[in-house]
Amino acid sequence: MAHSLSEECTPLKREYDSCFNAWFEGYLEPAVAASPAQREQYSQEKAREYDENCGKIWSQYRECVQVMLSILLHHGILPELTSSLVRLLRCRRAGDFDQARAENPLKEPPPVSSVDKTSSS
Amino acid sequence: MKFFQQSFLYDDPWSTVAFAFFLRYPNPYASHILSCDVISREFTPLGSLVTTRLILKKGSLPRWAPQGIIRKAETWVIEESEVDPEGKTVRCVTKNLDHVKALCVEERVTLQQAEDNKTMQLTEARFISAFGWGLTKRIESHGLARFKAHMHRSREGISLIVSLIRQSRLQPMTLGGPSSLLDSHRPFTASEVVRTEADEAAPSPSDMSDSSRHEGCDTAWSRVTSWLRFR
Repeated sequence: MAHSLSEECTPLKREYDSCFNAWFEGYLEPAVAASPAQREQYSQEKAREYDENCGKIWSQYRECVQVMLSILLHHGILPELTSSLVRLLRCRRAGDFDQARAENPLKEPPPVSSVDKTSSS
Repeated sequence: MKFFQQSFLYDDPWSTVAFAFFLRYPNPYASHILSCDVISREFTPLGSLVTTRLILKKGSLPRWAPQGIIRKAETWVIEESEVDPEGKTVRCVTKNLDHVKALCVEERVTLQQAEDNKTMQLTEARFISAFGWGLTKRIESHGLARFKAHMHRSREGISLIVSLIRQSRLQPMTLGGPSSLLDSHRPFTASEVVRTEADEAAPSPSDMSDSSRHEGCDTAWSRVTSWLRFR
């Protein structure tokens, strides 16, 4: 597997890639689904399987790359990429929020009065 | 602007070619890839997998390039892909992120299941320079020529990985070394049609039928990975 942009992240990248590829091979050959509902159930199962198997190493690897990218951007090594990458990093933060919410689900719905109606996404 | 279009037919089923496409770095034909990182990956509501990768490529400037304007020939490339296993389709868009004023190359690749369990790859690319100095056309033509020359190697790289996957599934008990696999690798096992804005080549089918394939072995990756020690 190819190197990461920083040698520091390469071991994490290799571990993540191995995990992903083992899962990906099965993902590419889905079981024949009789109905759209079965298909949806299958793809949800595959997504869950991916999170269970590779979710932990993915967050470690992603964090490593994110830190290294910030350093590269800060030092102007990636000057012309700034806008595209900032956009991507922002998307990723939105993803983190969803993840945090999924990991810490509210046991009870919040009282109606405290629900924020504004949405930034 | 220059535009390029080419379609290519692999003899292998979509799942194998799609897998090879994502495993293509590193391979002996892609020594110009310095790094490759996944920076985002998520599922769509319909179950497709969307991935963004950041790739650093080693480039080379033409001899006539003005000195000192572009400090180094390395290029950061962003690759955005979507895999739909139900529709058996991969869509992938690749763009360079720096040196964009000199030359912006956008490549779109689609891999789709074709008849007879084969896989069609459609590649489209466009080349736009905003360099000026009377060099715009020359830079675009240079980009196109480089791209065409590279297409060949890029396909050989994918074909190599395809054949490694195929063999790992055919011979689950035979753990041959990389050399024996590389020796038996056939770079051209598919028919192709090439079309560009400049020339229109006739189809040149090469009829090399594929050996029978053993399906149902789902641990090919674990064997392929031990053979992919190219670096």
